[in-house]
Amino acid sequence: MSKVRSVVNKLHERIDYFIEKCPNMTAAPYNYNYIFKYIIIGDMGVGKSCLLHQFTEKKFMANCPHTIGVEFGTRIIEVDDKKIKLQIWDTAGQERFRAVTRSYYRGAAGALMVYDITRRSTYNHLSSWLTDTRNLTNPSTVIFLIGNKSDLESTREVTYEEAKEFADENGLMFLEASAMTGQNVEEAFLETARKIYQNIQEGRLDLNASESGVQHRPSQPSRTSLSSEATGAKDQCSC
Amino acid sequence: MSSTQEKPEELDRIQKRVNKILEARLESDKDTLDALSGLSTFFTENTLQNRRNLRSQIEHRSVGINENFLKAFRQVKLSLDAVCEDLDTMATSVETMKSDLETSKALTKDLIKQTNTMQRERDRLEVHKQIAQAFLARFQLSGAEHQLLYGAAKDAPIVADFFRVLDRVQSIHADCRLLMQCGYQTAAIDIMEEMTLHQEGALERLYRWTQNHCRSLENNEIGPLIVEAMSRLQDRPVLFKYVIDEYAIARRAVLVRQFIEALTEGGPGGNPKPIELHAHDPKRYIGDMFAWLHQSIPTEKENLSLLFKKCDKQDISDQLQNALGYIADGVCHPLKVRVETILQAEKDTIVLFTISNLLRFYQQIMRQVVQGGSLEECLVELQKSSEQIYLGALAAQVRSVLQRPSGGSGLALEPPQRDLVPPPSVARLLNMLKEILSVATMVDGRQADITKIVSCVIDPLLQSVQESAAHLPTVDMGVYLLNCLHHMQSSLAVYEYMDERVERLQAQSDAQLDTLTSEQASSLVANLNLGPIYAILQSNQSKIETNLLKIFMSKMDAFLELPDVLLLPQVQLIMSSSHRAAVQKRSFNVIVAIYKQIYERVHDPANGFEQPEQLLHRTPEQVAHILTST
Repeated sequence: MSKVRSVVNKLHERIDYFIEKCPNMTAAPYNYNYIFKYIIIGDMGVGKSCLLHQFTEKKFMANCPHTIGVEFGTRIIEVDDKKIKLQIWDTAGQERFRAVTRSYYRGAAGALMVYDITRRSTYNHLSSWLTDTRNLTNPSTVIFLIGNKSDLESTREVTYEEAKEFADENGLMFLEASAMTGQNVEEAFLETARKIYQNIQEGRLDLNASESGVQHRPSQPSRTSLSSEATGAKDQCSC
Repeated sequence: MSSTQEKPEELDRIQKRVNKILEARLESDKDTLDALSGLSTFFTENTLQNRRNLRSQIEHRSVGINENFLKAFRQVKLSLDAVCEDLDTMATSVETMKSDLETSKALTKDLIKQTNTMQRERDRLEVHKQIAQAFLARFQLSGAEHQLLYGAAKDAPIVADFFRVLDRVQSIHADCRLLMQCGYQTAAIDIMEEMTLHQEGALERLYRWTQNHCRSLENNEIGPLIVEAMSRLQDRPVLFKYVIDEYAIARRAVLVRQFIEALTEGGPGGNPKPIELHAHDPKRYIGDMFAWLHQSIPTEKENLSLLFKKCDKQDISDQLQNALGYIADGVCHPLKVRVETILQAEKDTIVLFTISNLLRFYQQIMRQVVQGGSLEECLVELQKSSEQIYLGALAAQVRSVLQRPSGGSGLALEPPQRDLVPPPSVARLLNMLKEILSVATMVDGRQADITKIVSCVIDPLLQSVQESAAHLPTVDMGVYLLNCLHHMQSSLAVYEYMDERVERLQAQSDAQLDTLTSEQASSLVANLNLGPIYAILQSNQSKIETNLLKIFMSKMDAFLELPDVLLLPQVQLIMSSSHRAAVQKRSFNVIVAIYKQIYERVHDPANGFEQPEQLLHRTPEQVAHILTST
């Protein structure tokens, strides 16, 4: 009889071990709440791909080859305790790809328009890029102007004040950044996301629309989180 | 009283007694009071008679009272006798009972023993029962668990606890090995079999549920239960595959619907605009369709990876690729129909070429995202047909340019004019080629494209040029062809990948140059009267007539004065100055070579010419210098 008991005890131990190893069932399958679609545009060689690389890999990519058509990068960020997955489409700046890249504006929630502070011509082309963006995207698309290569102060050709004025006139958000040092790169991507999130909270973006550039992925206890979202919205509005 | 007076002692004693009596408080002596009150009932009159009779009276009363006592005690005695009798009876009864009891005791002794044994047995069995229960609890499913596993109703949804029970079934199955090692083979095998059945049943149910769930998957809501279910089903490859198939079918339908919506309805409130709104702009239209697809596929891929998140037992990347391929396949038909419509309707070669480029670009991009499947095939097919169509359109355009305006059959150019310049059609076609080649290409494989396009234009052009030149005299033909070839060569040389083509044109030019050189040289020989002298030189005769040499030398002098005079008029019409120079230089070199031969012959003393310096006063070096420096 004592033998049976010892067998049973051994089994207990084993079963407890199994139960411990059993994965947690309640974890939500998605590790993010939203997907935001971004597009990066601007003249050839202004550092669009380097900005993306700096943002997704936190590294500077020297000798970056020219982008062929469009490339794609993702990163999960956090805004207001919400996990947001950024799906970023990096377009080629070369004129020969223009026909292809134009098709990617469709349904972008954010557009990062990049120029090179050391090359005035790239700044001069901004208005044509802006026209394209306005024609090809939603009115709610957040457009963020980035003056890249801010580390090359000595060869600067476009002043901060001038670009800032241009951005203000056209209602764009604006920062000077450096893909090389990483300065302001995070900020540009995150500020855009914050602005998009704010638009969602204020109801300017219809999440149910198929091509709003934003997809919602409710985490598992969706009913309870809804109320907290509503309060979060109020907080957002005040700022 | 008298005594008191008699003796003091006596008196004293009496006094004491009197005192005592006096001191005695009769009112407080209850007995005395009772006696006195009793006495008062019958001693009513203090008469002598009464006093004398008092004693007897009291005794009489006392007897009466005693008699009463006796009477009363008799009764008591009688009662006691009855009690005593009863007790005796009881004693006997008890005695009887005691004996009875003794008997029974003797009789029940076995029974008690038996009871005790049974009770012990019962205790023992209780322990067994507990063990058995513990065993069952470990090795069997409870009713509730059973229900969780098989579902209360037929279509009961799967809940998280289902997986707990399934784990338990599995762990019981695993524990049976241990049980077997402990020597309980039969039980272990039975339980194992049972658990296997449970497992099969549960997985079957899980499969049906998952399949159903995948079928009704509209908004891509992959819950944790589905993810868990997939990780369980991976042990059953067939079921696993069926579920993925079902999922792919559902997503494929969703993707097609979304694609059609994007094409025809656009975003909410028409923003972004429906893609078909740009159907009039083929490049934009086709580009938008492909960009939409290219951007939808990462989402599908991600959802699939999510579905397989917990499937780690085998390499599922192939299955993922297949499923993704299948999901993407759905859009082939609507895509193909639209692209083909555009390709058939479009007439502009340049637009067609751009579309073909676009198709090739997306074919390469898509191949990196979705491998295999009919989307890739569809793209390859579309790309091929677009290539055929644009080459066809190009050929047709070339034909229409080369067609004789009179409408005659066969390829022909305008007949060459007297100035022997290339006809305008050549310039038109070369211009067309230039336009096509300036279209931005976005993909590798440009070389093959360009080679094809160039052949498509240049080959028929060359043919026509040659045909129209065929009826010209040799020199005219040479100059005309040389001019046309030169035009083509100089147009093509600026492009990439033209080396081979330019080389071929160069070879053709060289042939014409040779022809022209020999024509020019012959003409010079004739004009300088070199013919007879040259014939003598060839025939190894040592003697040349002085007269012939004199005529030759005078013509030669004139020629050296103005070399251009003796050039053929057609040679002046060669457009390329280098070609012109080449013809001139090479034909002059022939003359120089002949002159040198004559000079050596004349100056050879063995031939006995007199005064050779006067016959030929210029050295070959001087002649060469004059002719080649111009």
